[in-house]
Amino acid sequence: MSGALIAHGSLAARPAALVIVARYGPWIAVAAVFAGLPLVFRSGTALTVMSLMGISIVFAVSYNMLLGQTGMLSFGHAVYFGLGAYFAVHCMNTVITGGLPVPLPVIPFVGGLGALFFAILFGWVSTKRSGTAFAMISLGLAELVGSSALILRSFFGGEEGVTTDRTRLLRLFGVSFGQQIEVYYLIAVWSFVCMFLMFKFTRTPLGRMCNAVRDNAERAEFVGYNPRMVRFLAFCVSGFFAGVAGGLAAIHFEIANSAYFGATQSGNVLLATFIGGRGYFFGPVIGAVLVSYLQVMLSDITEIWQLYFGLLFIVMVMFAPQGMAGLLMMHRPLWGWRALLRVLAAYAIALPPAATMLTGVALGIEMTYRLTVKAAEGPDMSFLTVPLAADHPLAWLSAATLTIGGFILFRLTWPIITVAWASADDRKEQAR
Amino acid sequence: MTVLELQDIRKGFGAADVIRGVNLSIMACERHALIGPNGAGKSTLFNLISGRLRPDTGSITLRGSDIIAMPPYRINRRGLSRSFQITNIFDRMSVWENVRAGMLWSAGERYAFWRDVDHAREVGARTDQVLADFDLVDRRDTLAGILTYAEQRALEIAITVAGGADVILLDEPTAGMSRAETDRAVALIRRISEGRTLMIVEHDMSVVFGLADRISVLVYGEIVASGTPAEIRNNPKVREAYLGEEAR
Repeated sequence: MSGALIAHGSLAARPAALVIVARYGPWIAVAAVFAGLPLVFRSGTALTVMSLMGISIVFAVSYNMLLGQTGMLSFGHAVYFGLGAYFAVHCMNTVITGGLPVPLPVIPFVGGLGALFFAILFGWVSTKRSGTAFAMISLGLAELVGSSALILRSFFGGEEGVTTDRTRLLRLFGVSFGQQIEVYYLIAVWSFVCMFLMFKFTRTPLGRMCNAVRDNAERAEFVGYNPRMVRFLAFCVSGFFAGVAGGLAAIHFEIANSAYFGATQSGNVLLATFIGGRGYFFGPVIGAVLVSYLQVMLSDITEIWQLYFGLLFIVMVMFAPQGMAGLLMMHRPLWGWRALLRVLAAYAIALPPAATMLTGVALGIEMTYRLTVKAAEGPDMSFLTVPLAADHPLAWLSAATLTIGGFILFRLTWPIITVAWASADDRKEQAR
Repeated sequence: MTVLELQDIRKGFGAADVIRGVNLSIMACERHALIGPNGAGKSTLFNLISGRLRPDTGSITLRGSDIIAMPPYRINRRGLSRSFQITNIFDRMSVWENVRAGMLWSAGERYAFWRDVDHAREVGARTDQVLADFDLVDRRDTLAGILTYAEQRALEIAITVAGGADVILLDEPTAGMSRAETDRAVALIRRISEGRTLMIVEHDMSVVFGLADRISVLVYGEIVASGTPAEIRNNPKVREAYLGEEAR
């Protein structure tokens, strides 16, 4: 925040073209990444993963509008994601049966409006309270909507959900959206636009007062703002964008079902936002990308990927509560200094022992899983392509050796990192 | 002209009556100090005026209109702004953002979510001006939570006056400050209250008698005397109840 202010102040003296680059440079870069990714990663899986990332980014950033920006912990944000998806699917089916002249790219907007309607309804009740009470109400509302999904079958389609066909809407420029690459670009454009709008929101009077209400709701009241109104409006805007994300998901999967607004979905967005870092706008972006990637890639490698996911979350909460973005921003003062290289070199030394330790831990977990939950399949398994027997003492010995040995070596590298940081600070002092 | 008028204000917490029938008239553009021993109800009276608490009975009018049932934000929008005895700022926002938050509503920005406020020139310039007035320019990008105590006290008042409210309530603005810091704060308060109505709760008698046009003495929830500094100094009741103890 403060960085942006300094940049803004010093921009005045520069030529206009540079101002535009400095102000919109990051956005041009993001747009280029969105546009260029499919040229680098061409496989079907990659396109699917990247589409999911685009959806998750919108969802996670909308969630952080509540958590990071306004200080509202919601356990039911998937409600608006799910309702957005249902509205999108029903709208698509209405368009198809009625032969209406509506192209697919506007459908996420309908999802957003549907979610907005319910965000107004539910938000009016839940934002009367803040803190723990708000969190509890959000949980209750999630349960309410989740259970009505199984009762109101005509709208929610029961357990199997409601399906649709994204290729049967009005075609623009001959694009049918039958291919994943077309869907990817649809998601990429929406994701980019939503990110940009949500970033702009943080710069508006309401967005700034969200921070004020987060920090000190009482004081906000004494500078003329009704904290409840601020929370309510933030909730509505956040719900709208969650609905857009749901609409994109509906287009991607061509289905909406009750899993969309389940507790898992609400939990995932909380984890992604927290792991990415709620204190920064781009934190949830990192979190969404990372979590989407892990969900797909880890689940290919191991059946108990959610356990590792949970461990990652615990480690982040304990050791890096500012998230990935916080870890990155910690290094910002080092930019332009040779110290950055030095710190990175220290990390490189610490990395192999850390990886060894984690491998040992993972081996232990996998073997335990094999011997307990999967006992019926016998002790023979493979770990990172290495075949081994989970009941053999040697396997356990190696797991223990990797873990303990890795930890001891890792522990020895800490002073190296400390020294590298200290020298970086020294340089900064000298530069002053 | 009376700007703020309190009539027969009473407030109790459980069995304890803290404010026991206060009548008070604050005139436009006067600096009015509220003094009294600890526990006399000075902060409670401020809380009642600013809407943080609701009186049990009585009426409070701001420029003739009743503000008694209003929440704090409505009272603030009518041009009454207060500071707090215990520093009450936005910890994780920069100093500059803190001050700007104090003026967004009165600048007409309200709940707008379609305007970029970071590039709003007038609000930015006014914020810079307030920072300059309060000697906080060097700290503009510092997070408010890590300021020194004296700086936080200054910021507390800066937020209070940033919105341009013409009735200012300051609750012990110099509490915990050193002599030098207090002197600077008093000079600052004198300057910013120029042309506005000021009500101030203060324990430091040199501050009170140096600053106030009129003084009211609150003892056990009642105003025992109200008048110019000279009148208060010579009032036997006040000397007995309050100042006398200090003189000894």
